[in-house]
Amino acid sequence: MDATVTPLRIALVGVPNCGKTALFNRLTGSRQKVANYPGVTVERREGERATPDGRGMRVLDLPGTYSLNPTTLDEAITRDVLLGRLADTPAPELVVCVVDAVHLPIGLRLALEVKRLGLPMVLALNRMDVARRRSVHIDAAKLSAELGVPVVATIAVKRGGADALVEVIEAGTWIAPRAFAPALREHGAEDAEQMQRDMRALLAAAGYSPPRENPWSGRIDALLLHPVAGLAVLLTVLFVMFQAVFSWAEAPMDGIERAMNSLGGFTAAHMPAGPLASLLVNGVIGGAGSVLVFLPQIVILFFFILALEDSGYLPRAAYLLDRLMGSVGLSGRAFIPLLSSHACAIPGIMATRTIPNWRDRLTTIMIAPLMTCSARLPVYGLLIAALIPARSVGPFNLQGLVLFTLYAAGIVSALLVAFVMKQFARERQYSPLMLELPDFQWPNASNLVLGLWERVKIFMSRVGGIILALMIVLWFLSSYPEPPPGATGPAIQYSLAGRIGALLEYVFAPIGFNWQIAIALVPGLAAREVAVAALGTVYAMSAAGDDLSAALEPVISSTWSLATGVSLLAWYVFAPQCLSTLAVVKRETNSWRYPLIMAGYLFALAYLASFITFRVVRAWA
Amino acid sequence: MKSDASRPVDGDRRQIALAQLRRGQVATVSGLVESAAIDSGRDASQSLVTRLRDLGFVPGARCEVVARMWLGGDPIAVRIGGSTFALRRAEAAAVRVELALGQARDVVAHAGSSAVTA
Repeated sequence: MDATVTPLRIALVGVPNCGKTALFNRLTGSRQKVANYPGVTVERREGERATPDGRGMRVLDLPGTYSLNPTTLDEAITRDVLLGRLADTPAPELVVCVVDAVHLPIGLRLALEVKRLGLPMVLALNRMDVARRRSVHIDAAKLSAELGVPVVATIAVKRGGADALVEVIEAGTWIAPRAFAPALREHGAEDAEQMQRDMRALLAAAGYSPPRENPWSGRIDALLLHPVAGLAVLLTVLFVMFQAVFSWAEAPMDGIERAMNSLGGFTAAHMPAGPLASLLVNGVIGGAGSVLVFLPQIVILFFFILALEDSGYLPRAAYLLDRLMGSVGLSGRAFIPLLSSHACAIPGIMATRTIPNWRDRLTTIMIAPLMTCSARLPVYGLLIAALIPARSVGPFNLQGLVLFTLYAAGIVSALLVAFVMKQFARERQYSPLMLELPDFQWPNASNLVLGLWERVKIFMSRVGGIILALMIVLWFLSSYPEPPPGATGPAIQYSLAGRIGALLEYVFAPIGFNWQIAIALVPGLAAREVAVAALGTVYAMSAAGDDLSAALEPVISSTWSLATGVSLLAWYVFAPQCLSTLAVVKRETNSWRYPLIMAGYLFALAYLASFITFRVVRAWA
Repeated sequence: MKSDASRPVDGDRRQIALAQLRRGQVATVSGLVESAAIDSGRDASQSLVTRLRDLGFVPGARCEVVARMWLGGDPIAVRIGGSTFALRRAEAAAVRVELALGQARDVVAHAGSSAVTA
């Protein structure tokens, strides 16, 4: 390849749900890079594809938008990239406007708007297979002649479905004779109506006939959007999903733990004992393992979320819950980020970018950490097993009921916090729902796999990186300074972490925490699940991972009071013990103010909840 | 702001608000108004009207309310131009419609095959 020739810069533009991302996957396969646009946290998805002439193409998947008059951060990015306003992202050399052939009018309107920018453009009529099945008629040649740009049919979900598009791009017939800098015309009412007239003229010229209504989708919607039956279906879906997250993940989680333990054991056996071995085994392998173990749960949760998203169900859930969430000052759109937060608050907080209103988005970000993320499970699991008897209460298991209560406590307190935030808001800016409920479709397997793979990569690199670094720092803090010769207590008591823990005991005594918990909470501040490993260290255990929590159980059940254990559970519902979440909030809100407020209010709530729980349970028991 | 309430942007006389349609009723969009229900300033309601127009709520488009939440009907799901959108009452108030009852093409055409009819 000629080093001086850069790959052709192509941008994919289209309305949401037009199959743009599927087409992007078809064009670039797995050669994708997901990053952020500089300065903002809108996901920037770029992929490469080789071409016969050796130049190659670099395809940018722009966020879906109905119009170049943006209402969300994502939509503003699309406009700015097309106008070449973004640093580091030059305007594309070719725009591929992706239009859902089944819903031609709405896509064509956007295409007209994009075309007016003056960039070379190709129109991709996507989902042509579905369109034909629903007897949509479009004369592509006439449409192309009228519109003045090449028009090709694509079927993004089919192998080879983008071949025609690739051919046109490679042939270069799209090169615009007149090349000028893109400019945006603000469109007023007359302008918008002119565009609608142009669009209808185009539709007429192309002999467009609208799709036959699918009788099934009407019937399915009558059920799914029904005020009572629809909510019942939603609850069932959520129940099955959470059930799956816990039951399906068990085996792979055990596998990962065993693998990490034997890796640790192997390392320890083949290295001379000393600080380096301890750092590798406890810090690096133990630290990475404690995070890695949540991968199966996150994969399963995202499998459900991506499948529900791909099928078109999630916006319907947002529709069902809009009124309910509106009563506490949230938008129905907040449902999707809050659902993701049950896996991990980080992707949840990142998903708030689709909420157009800043106030709504901020409220959603602030309550996302109250959703029970998977990092709380090891702590809940340990304490429930140690302190709550496994007897049945009616048809339910008491331990299961306690776990359910903890989940419910998170959701209910999130709604209360949102309600309080609503009272504090100075001006209420109205934020529209205006959500498209797309056609139902079967989730596409390869898109699902690619989507999951992307999540896995993000989880491993971003979150794993931060937590691993912290674990190494905390290992140093809890190992040094070393105990003086002749010391009798556990080594950790003499370390920096130990000293901090001893100081913290004064703070934590009123809520029933002993010095062991206080010390464990120090490393546990970085990531919740670390507290389990830290408690193990404090109780002078040498094992790691699952073995350790199994061994911890009898110690806890014999030495802790019920009040202490329940108080710690209450603490974990609220305490913002996750530096990665706070870091993401800082990045998403672009200010230190909100992560600080978040940490402050969550610690205050945690202390209050634990204080009350401790007193009440002690008085009772 | 108050004086701007319900000021017709485009379209004309005798119409009802989209939010008033019953489930299953088919109507034709007659115009968009800056909704009085949205009390957060000119810009917000103007951008709402612009976005509704971009979504296909233009005079002549045929629409149908396919679902309503709870008793008050908030939000509603509207089928227009072959797509379905969830709108709150306040948003749907910006769309004025004329009931299409009694018009011959109703009986023939499917709801939703709207954008090209006008």
